[in-house]
Amino acid sequence: MAHDWQADFEQLVDQHQSMVFSLALRMTGDRGLAEEIAQDVFLELDRNLGRIENANHACFWLRRVAMNRSTDAIRRRRVRGIDLWVEMEDVHGAPTEDRATPLGARLEQLLATLSEPQRAALILRYQEDLTPEEIADTLEAPLATVKSHLQRGLKLLRAKAQSHLKEYVRGNKFAEGSLSDG
Amino acid sequence: MDEFEREMRQAFERRPAPPGLKRKLMEKRRAKQPQFSFFTWQRLAASLVLTAILAGGFQWRNVQERRKEEAAREQVMTALRITNHALNHMNARLAARRRDEQD
Repeated sequence: MAHDWQADFEQLVDQHQSMVFSLALRMTGDRGLAEEIAQDVFLELDRNLGRIENANHACFWLRRVAMNRSTDAIRRRRVRGIDLWVEMEDVHGAPTEDRATPLGARLEQLLATLSEPQRAALILRYQEDLTPEEIADTLEAPLATVKSHLQRGLKLLRAKAQSHLKEYVRGNKFAEGSLSDG
Repeated sequence: MDEFEREMRQAFERRPAPPGLKRKLMEKRRAKQPQFSFFTWQRLAASLVLTAILAGGFQWRNVQERRKEEAAREQVMTALRITNHALNHMNARLAARRRDEQD
C-alpha cells in the first residue's frame, strides 16, 4: 500500500537535510556550494513529490539526486578551471577539529585525493552505510565497478592514512622531544 | 570490519546542515510557487473574451450560411412550381386542340 504514505515536504527536509548536505559537502569540499546543491535537490524533490512512493523511496531519491548534482557541480567548476578540492583544507577541513582521533580528522581531507567515482562509492559506504548493491543502484553503475571503486579507494586511502599517521607520530615525538629538551 | 574502517565510519558521520538552510529553502519554494497576480487574471479574462468572440463569430457564420441555403431552396421550389404550372397549361391547350381536330 505505497499510496497510503503522504509526502510532507517540510518533514522530509527536516529528516534528510543533514544527509543531503553532507553528501554534497564531501563530494565537492565546498560548504557554500554544498548548501546550494542541497537547496536545489530539495526544490527538485518538491517538483517530483507526487512520484515519491514512500519514505525509503524519498531517501533513495534524495541520495541519488544529491550525488548527481554534486558530480555536475564538480564538472562545471572544472570546466571553469576551479579545483574545488584545492580549497578543501581551508573550507572543509576546518570543522574536523572535533574528530576523536587525528586519523579520523585527516581522513576526510585525504578523500580529496581520490577520483570522483571512488570518492562517491566510499562516501555512500561509510557515511550512509550502504551495501555495494545499494551503492550501485544509487549511482546507476554496475556492481562490479562499484566493488572495484570501493576496494581501490579504500586501499589508497588506507595507504595514505598510514603514511600520514607515521608523519603525525613522528611530529608528536619531535614535539615531545623538543619540549623535554626545553 | 577492521579498525581503519571503523575509523572511516566515525570520520564520515553526517554533518549538521547549516542553520539557515531550511529557511532559505522554504523562501525559494514560496517564490517558485505560481501566484495569481492581477496580470494573470487580466490574461485569463482576455483569453475568455477572445474565445467568446471567436465562438460567436463562428456561430453567426453558421446561421448566415443556413439562411442562404433556405433562400436558395425556396427559389428552386418556386422555379419548379412555375415550370409545373406552365407545363400543365401547355398540356391542357394541346389536349383541347387535339379534341377540336377530331371533331
